[in-house]
Amino acid sequence: MKKIALTVAAALVLAACHEVPQDAAKPYAGKEDVQPYAGDLFKGDKQKFETALAERASHEDEYNRTGDAKK
Amino acid sequence: MARMKFICDAERCIECNSCATACKNEHEVPWGVNRRRVVTLNDGVPGERSISVACMHCTDAPCMAVCPVDCFYRTEDDIVLHDKDLCIGCGYCYYACPFGAPQFPQAGAFGLRGKMDKCTYCAGGPEENFSVEEFRKYGRNRIAEGKLPLCAEMCSTKALIAGDSAVIAKIYKTRVVTRGKGEQLWGWATAYGGSDKVSDNLGTSA
Repeated sequence: MKKIALTVAAALVLAACHEVPQDAAKPYAGKEDVQPYAGDLFKGDKQKFETALAERASHEDEYNRTGDAKK
Repeated sequence: MARMKFICDAERCIECNSCATACKNEHEVPWGVNRRRVVTLNDGVPGERSISVACMHCTDAPCMAVCPVDCFYRTEDDIVLHDKDLCIGCGYCYYACPFGAPQFPQAGAFGLRGKMDKCTYCAGGPEENFSVEEFRKYGRNRIAEGKLPLCAEMCSTKALIAGDSAVIAKIYKTRVVTRGKGEQLWGWATAYGGSDKVSDNLGTSA
């Protein structure tokens, strides 16, 4: 009985311990955009597109380029 | 799916403003509108820190929540963009944004507020990729060319880095682990070698 009472009390106390959405999800009302990889460059190949971006990002790490990063 | 973000490393930013200049030039941003800017804390005081600020493409973007015409959308890569044809220039997003990202061009004889303009992560907007209309309204679409935002790629000290959050977080982590902290950071030991601590050599704290 005590266990049940504790469980109920815990449930009531912890009821506020979650993130409540501050606003209702609103749909986008504007024009649809095309995917960035939809053009002639990537021809809809998402994998190729993501690889290209990852390649560009790797150039931002000069430790990677010079091999000076601590292993 | 990538989650595109910016990180600005305040220990590296030298307030050169090349990110802001690159952005202005690449997108031909009008006079009075700054999609990116460099903010300096304690300017002129030893230990000053600068950080490059623009739209941070929030995961839970407050601008999207407050927009009365719902002109914001999120791309597959989590880039927050908006439709200028729908924007009414009310300025709610400006008040909601914690980074001051939304900008409003002054238009007309009475200085009326134009449609909102902000960093697009060099991803254009809801127009045909590489079209004249897209460039006129939103600027160049480098993402569709497989390139990252020019501000980050232009950064000479690589203080500003852009890309998939997992990738750039790893770059930043490697950087912090390698350079250390406190006096090891761009300090005496980096310049002259020897002890990691300035206080070991000079008997005084830096």
